[in-house]
Amino acid sequence: MKQTKKITSEGLAFFEEKDMKKLRKYSLQGWHVYDFSIRGYKLEKGESRDYIYNIDYRFLNDDEKEEYIELCAQTGWTHIASDGDLHLFRANRGTKPLYTDQGTKVEKYAQSGRTMSKVVVPFVLITVLLWIGEIFSSGIVESILFTIATILTVIALPLVWATITIFKNKWKLAGRKGLVTFVSILPILLFCVAAYVVFFVEKREGTIIFLSYMLFGAIGFSYLISLVTLIYQKVRKKAVY
Amino acid sequence: MKKYEQLTDSMFYIMAALTKPRHGYAIMSLIEETSNGVVSIGPASMYTIIKKLLKQDWIYLYDNSDSRRKTYYLTDKGKEVLEAELIVRKRMIEIAENGLREVEG
Repeated sequence: MKQTKKITSEGLAFFEEKDMKKLRKYSLQGWHVYDFSIRGYKLEKGESRDYIYNIDYRFLNDDEKEEYIELCAQTGWTHIASDGDLHLFRANRGTKPLYTDQGTKVEKYAQSGRTMSKVVVPFVLITVLLWIGEIFSSGIVESILFTIATILTVIALPLVWATITIFKNKWKLAGRKGLVTFVSILPILLFCVAAYVVFFVEKREGTIIFLSYMLFGAIGFSYLISLVTLIYQKVRKKAVY
Repeated sequence: MKKYEQLTDSMFYIMAALTKPRHGYAIMSLIEETSNGVVSIGPASMYTIIKKLLKQDWIYLYDNSDSRRKTYYLTDKGKEVLEAELIVRKRMIEIAENGLREVEG
């Protein structure tokens, strides 16, 4: 039986290129990806190869998929696996890229953003409605709505974040600098507003106050994690050299 | 005639290749050969543009008997668009040629 293992994805919306480089590194060590797993990729042991990897987002019905995979295969890109609209390809180093044209590259992220929005927009709407319900209800109904709304918010925040990042990728390629800057400073702005509520507003109850605390925690926590990861990587690099 | 947005280079090449029925890979090979390898279109870009041209009714599905290698062909509307684009691009070249001639002269 073949030796296999799983590795986690850094999050395709945020670190697509990093993930693809990681897969290449593993292939150099003889670990080749053969499928997606729930949180990343499944690898199997083989011989060391200098493969490059690429992800494409695209809605395809079965008939289109056959044609698309054949077209990629003819140009040296082997289809590894698909997960919904996500398609993973591998090629030998030096193979001409999947995308050669700026306009179609923008389309790639537009498509992926549309797919995400279909899930995320209704999800956020339901969450908002629950919060509104919570504000205008009382007693046991309020407690139940509060609990559900809190859980949904915890799930919704990273989803919204990922969706915004995909659109940011698209705008970056399309040269929409203003929008990219706006999206980049948006979390800092939100964090400041939330921090103000947390530290300077005397009132300690109410839905808006609670949501501010959540936002403060979520953004603060994710910044803390990226900071720790950054320091860890810097220290590790120094330790290697 | 109705005005169209200017075609991208990739769209222009692909439409020019579809003056004969061809499948995706045949279009790519033709473009690469005739440009001596200078112009090359990746499979993902190719597929996105084919879908776009189909939606615009500028090309149509000519033969799908081999589902893995469907062939496409320019529609009459597509031919009009390509001809209009050709005039625009010829004029672009003329401007550059005249400009360069002035520099030399």
